[in-house]
Amino acid sequence: MDHVSRQRRRASWRCLRVFALCTVIALVAAACGSSRRNDTTGTTGGNGTTPGGAPQNVVPTADCPAGQDTVGVSGDTITLGTSLPESGQYAPFIAILKGERSYFEYLNAQGGVEVPKGSGKKYKIKLVDKDDAYDAARTVTNVNSLITDTKVFSLLNVVGTKNNLGARDTVNSECVPDLLIASGAVQWGNMKFPWMLGSELVPYPLEMRVFVDYLKKNKPNAKIAVLKASDDFGQSYSDTLQELVKGTNLSIVQTTGYDPESSDVKAQVTSLAATKADAFVIGAALLACPSALNAMGDAGWKPIVYMSGTCVSKLLLSAAGKNADGLLTVTPLIDPSDPANASKPAMQLYTQQVKKYSDADVTDGIVAYGWTTAALMAKILESSPKLDRASVMETARTLTDVKGVGLQLADSTWNTSAQDWFIGETFQLVTYDSTAAHTKALGPITDLDGKTAELSPPALLRQ
Amino acid sequence: MTSRRQLQTIGLVAAIGALVVLSVVPHLASATDTQRWAQALYIGIAAMGLNLLTGYNGQVSIGHGAFFGVGAYTTGLLMHQHDWQFLPTLLVSAPLCFVIGVLIGFPALRVKGLYLALVTLGLAVVFPDLTKHYVHVTGGTNLVALNRTELAPPAWVPTWLSSIGRDDQWAYYVTFALAVVLVVATYLMVRSRFGRALIAVRDHEAAAETVGINAARVKVMAFALSALYAGVAGSCAVLVDHLANADKVQTFQLSIKFLVAVVIGGTATVIGPLVGAGVVVSLQWIISDVLPKRVSSIGVLERTLGNPAASPAIFGILLILFVFVLPDGIVGGVRRFWGRLTSGRSGAPPTAPAPLTT
Amino acid sequence: MSLFLTQLMNGIGNGAVYASLALALVLIYRTTGILNFAQGEMALYSTYLFWYFTDRGMPVVVAILLTMVLSFIGGAAIERVVLRPVENSSPLVLVIVTIGMFLALNSIVQVQFGADIKTNLPRAYPKHVWRPGDVQISADTLVLVGVLIVVCFVLYLLFQHTKLGLAFRAVSSNPESSRLVGVPAGRMLMLGWALAAALGALAGCLIIPTIGLQASSMQSILVFSFAAAALGGFDSPLGAVVGGLIVGVAQSLTTQYIKSLSDIVLIVPFGLILVVLMVRPQGLFGTRRVERV
Repeated sequence: MDHVSRQRRRASWRCLRVFALCTVIALVAAACGSSRRNDTTGTTGGNGTTPGGAPQNVVPTADCPAGQDTVGVSGDTITLGTSLPESGQYAPFIAILKGERSYFEYLNAQGGVEVPKGSGKKYKIKLVDKDDAYDAARTVTNVNSLITDTKVFSLLNVVGTKNNLGARDTVNSECVPDLLIASGAVQWGNMKFPWMLGSELVPYPLEMRVFVDYLKKNKPNAKIAVLKASDDFGQSYSDTLQELVKGTNLSIVQTTGYDPESSDVKAQVTSLAATKADAFVIGAALLACPSALNAMGDAGWKPIVYMSGTCVSKLLLSAAGKNADGLLTVTPLIDPSDPANASKPAMQLYTQQVKKYSDADVTDGIVAYGWTTAALMAKILESSPKLDRASVMETARTLTDVKGVGLQLADSTWNTSAQDWFIGETFQLVTYDSTAAHTKALGPITDLDGKTAELSPPALLRQ
Repeated sequence: MTSRRQLQTIGLVAAIGALVVLSVVPHLASATDTQRWAQALYIGIAAMGLNLLTGYNGQVSIGHGAFFGVGAYTTGLLMHQHDWQFLPTLLVSAPLCFVIGVLIGFPALRVKGLYLALVTLGLAVVFPDLTKHYVHVTGGTNLVALNRTELAPPAWVPTWLSSIGRDDQWAYYVTFALAVVLVVATYLMVRSRFGRALIAVRDHEAAAETVGINAARVKVMAFALSALYAGVAGSCAVLVDHLANADKVQTFQLSIKFLVAVVIGGTATVIGPLVGAGVVVSLQWIISDVLPKRVSSIGVLERTLGNPAASPAIFGILLILFVFVLPDGIVGGVRRFWGRLTSGRSGAPPTAPAPLTT
Repeated sequence: MSLFLTQLMNGIGNGAVYASLALALVLIYRTTGILNFAQGEMALYSTYLFWYFTDRGMPVVVAILLTMVLSFIGGAAIERVVLRPVENSSPLVLVIVTIGMFLALNSIVQVQFGADIKTNLPRAYPKHVWRPGDVQISADTLVLVGVLIVVCFVLYLLFQHTKLGLAFRAVSSNPESSRLVGVPAGRMLMLGWALAAALGALAGCLIIPTIGLQASSMQSILVFSFAAAALGGFDSPLGAVVGGLIVGVAQSLTTQYIKSLSDIVLIVPFGLILVVLMVRPQGLFGTRRVERV
């Protein structure tokens, strides 16, 4: 009995093995049968510098699919598409969409955007949004669907670094503008992919440059402690900082990473506080920002604090109370929570229209960002000589001295060019006043136009 | 007995019908819809594997998103950085997941029931962190995004399978073919002695031991096989979604999706998980794409059902209601219904598609 | 040394939170045999209620008590309405039901209370940090630990020294027999869920004001609490507390002393679980179940 059963058992295991072997053989056969694919590297049409050095086009169009240039424009409507987290833990980003929608509603009520300016032909703007729950795979699906099903003219302010990186090949080989990406990442400076452009957010490496300059002037021998999110975002801060302190009397005493999907950084900050460093760089996002400040306060540590520009919001800073007092950070926009700005015409228009068209909190910086990004998009459209994808992308890549868009700072100008792929390179160094509960400008506007590429960690630009 | 034979005939007809429908899908549907069908198929593949472990062998795992990730990263990296074709990458990803499954299956032997679920939860939350630590590919992130050249079908694929600009068809057919192969494999496996051993160990481990079943080996094998299925699913996902990526929330949600597909479709049934995956994917599509448009003009509904933030809530509540009504899943429910029908009045006409097997 | 002690205190503070939630998990596991994936989100919903009350001017302590009472009732209702119908289903179906609740509650709070982050939750006590000889001890840590001790004591009294507790223990150890001798088993199951919900609410109202409230606030806490409960043994309240403290301390000490793991601290609790379960499959303090053929 036992013998028989063992034999049968063995037989069944053998069956399984034979099955496995068959599968393997089938797969090998399939693999061997497959001839090499035609090996064309780089589907994206070169890097913008043609051998002749002809400067007329920053955005190459030679490899673009034919007949797709005016898709998304029908009658007097331009359809734009966006993908952002509207559900899940990053759902607060929906405030950006509220700002954008308010601006376009306001614009459409004025008759729309005139393309090109002076032609008298006005277009209404329709913005189609899709929820991706901050999942890069869903963003790619959304982007593909926006391009092939919705047939959008251009993408606008798709949220997230990985989310846009996932769609990078599609937008570049389909030649669909992926404009004003909602991420200050440096990856949009990768010259192999000319159809993407970051928004007015300050590129992360520039923040370090400003802070190092500040330290050189005010505390030239400072020892710096760094808290960084363990991803490319945190890396942008720590790598750039490491480069910038070379050859100065500044030094980095400790860099500690934290899991960017958690906001508990108490133990990390306790460890950093023990170094008693003179300066503290917080390369963190969302609730980790106030947590870091509070842990710093608990430790009785009083360094000069630089906090990522992504944390600048009334909500996050107020959560840190007194611990946020005097910290340094940057902003490309007017602070909508500062009552001193309330009398400015740009601010009045913004407040009035956002209140009219949405239920968003007008003092929230993220709504102001959405409003300004939409205004910048309209600006790009009306500056374009023709209403087709190539011209609009070319226009976005060759902005000269753009001023007064949305809540853009009064003295700042935004520029892009064949060599300069970033918009948000003029900005204001600010310090936070916890009693007044808003930021205050510190010195004049910083203008680092064209400096992002050289300050970026090369590893992030290469692949 | 006649009822059983009838059931099998109907099952066969239904299966052939399903095969025909599924094989023409990409020629009728848009690229977006084709992708959605393909997603249902790869989730179904992973769920089929999980069903071997959970349904047939009684071990609950909520961490198979990690094995899925291992498969996806293996295929993604080989195709993107080493210029491999898709199919050969399966020769690496599937065995790799199998081996990792064995390595994790052994300690899991000591752990029973819900404790195992927790250890596997650990897998799902730690795996994304590991990729962030060690993988720096697209733009220096842990994302591996593939470009069109890499995703294009190999030259030997006949053009009617993938017309120009429709690489999604290639992705679909590969996933479809693998799903069919694995359905057949699962069918044979659960009918074999090994399949009966799985069930015996699930129903009473100690009793199974006394009749000469090596329970430990069976359990480790079940774990490793389910990991292999999840790995194959992950590999397919690279073709379908054009990328490999891991974040905690997504990996956890994927693990849940597999489990939900198993339960909705019917535990311990061969095609249940595929049916369940189809239901899960269509439900999520309806909730997040169709529903908001339908209710967009009705005030209260727009703020609740039409609010994208509510889509997980709708899904969660439907899920609970579903298991209230059909605790044994769609396939189980249909079988129960059929059984009642035939025992009541024999020879009644079938009203619903029947499952392929028992 | 003072740094070590400070990190130890950090760990104990976090550990107390994990322990509270792990205790709630154990209460539910003991009575209904369910691994409650929605435990964190139940606490999340309670904390949003607490935010709602305080945001409208209710005094903090009153708001906490009211939240706990409502959560107690809500927990009982969940058991009665959502779980009773699937009482005798397979463990897998029960897992699916709690996962369904997890998804639902997490998104309901966003629809009901708004998706934005709430940072204006008040503490029930003044914020303060003591520094005896360079070691930091924050009021947060003391309160969390103090409350945990009180909770343990109350639960001990309830279970060991009241008739209700006796009935409760009878149902958790053998529902069938206790039904036969007239213990209202159904009500005891509701009590288990109600207590767990109230306990989660208390933990939420105390910890969330220190970190900020958003829909994902409870998720990483829940993962650590699961680790804590598994480490201690799922049927042992003492195990939950010890497990919670071990996990919390391991988390902060790893961050301090193994810098390369500071961003993947989750490896540590799950590594610990694996090691402990290899030696003691029922957890540190769990009871072994004997299987008969």
